[in-house]
Amino acid sequence: MNKSVSELEKDPIPGSTPPAGTRRMLLAAFAIVLALLVSFLFARYSAYRTVQAKFYGQPLVPAKEAFDFRLVDQNGKAFQLSQLRGKVVLFAFGFTHCPNVCPTTLSDLAKVYRALPARDRARVQVLFVSVDPRRDKPETMKNYVPYFDDSFIGLTGTEDQIAQAAKPYGAYYEIVHNAGESPDGYSVNHSAFTYLISPDVKWKLLYNFDQLGDATKVVRDIEQVLNGA
Amino acid sequence: MLSFLLKAMITRIILSLLYICCVSPIARADSLSIKIENAWVQAVPPVADTTAAYMKITNLGPGPLRLVGASSSVATRVEPMITTRQERNGQEILGMEAVPDLEIAPGATLELKPGRDHLMIMGLTSHPVEGERVKLTVRFAPGDQRLELEVPVLREEPK
Repeated sequence: MNKSVSELEKDPIPGSTPPAGTRRMLLAAFAIVLALLVSFLFARYSAYRTVQAKFYGQPLVPAKEAFDFRLVDQNGKAFQLSQLRGKVVLFAFGFTHCPNVCPTTLSDLAKVYRALPARDRARVQVLFVSVDPRRDKPETMKNYVPYFDDSFIGLTGTEDQIAQAAKPYGAYYEIVHNAGESPDGYSVNHSAFTYLISPDVKWKLLYNFDQLGDATKVVRDIEQVLNGA
Repeated sequence: MLSFLLKAMITRIILSLLYICCVSPIARADSLSIKIENAWVQAVPPVADTTAAYMKITNLGPGPLRLVGASSSVATRVEPMITTRQERNGQEILGMEAVPDLEIAPGATLELKPGRDHLMIMGLTSHPVEGERVKLTVRFAPGDQRLELEVPVLREEPK
């Protein structure tokens, strides 16, 4: 037994080396696969670069099918993202007890909305989705979201509905109890991104908290998406 | 009757003194060691029970300065907070954390701004309306240095 192993090591199975012709063919096949792979990756990369150069927001290349979340709007009615087919939708997650990030995001979005040419405003909808359903009821959203602009819609729902809406967008949130706050007083750490959905309900762009501050550039992106980019 | 009139008069005098002292956009402590500029409070919907105050604080003194808190006539508590940023799923998660104080080195400027460090105004007792001014007393250590401010309520960061 030992002997045969050492023999195998010394001299590989006779005939295991393919003839020169087969080897060349294998090599050629390998080269072709490699070339295809490289050109595929390059094509994807350059497509990404092209899209990236076109937009100020961070593009999703290719644009993803936007998850059609089902929530409850500020009037207590069932709401589905696909209701807004035909419009550019900008939405962000947050909560109404948020002192800093959410009012800033919403006033940035209001600035963007008002900077749009009047004729395009009807084709743009801003949504604000609560990640704090325990405190944010539809009426809370109604008293909060339209303050920033009359046209904005606040959405909330059950914990499950919200978790389902957040996950496909990679949004994250967690309840945190800050030291020294009352038992009911808690904060919610959350993704502070704004998602841009195109009129064909595709998730096209993503803005981080800081990017959203430049209204002129966000408006340019919206105009491009409205024009079919 | 007389005491009532007297009280009203004293209140008026105090109020007008406060107005004279605080209406200037730049407030300085008596020692001239603290400079506060561009202070403003975020306008929030009436339903909100929290908001934030933002400003630029420069430490002109020779030693380190700590912003330990503030108080306001419109809220039960005002506390320094930091904004935490962490990555999750390739996206940035913003959160906030209460801190006992915010330190400002000699000569340095602490910028309280949206998405960064701020003074969180908690338990609003009256709703600060856009365009209004709210009273804010900012407290510093060492010692018990207090600066009285009258801060405009704005929808967005002034340019």
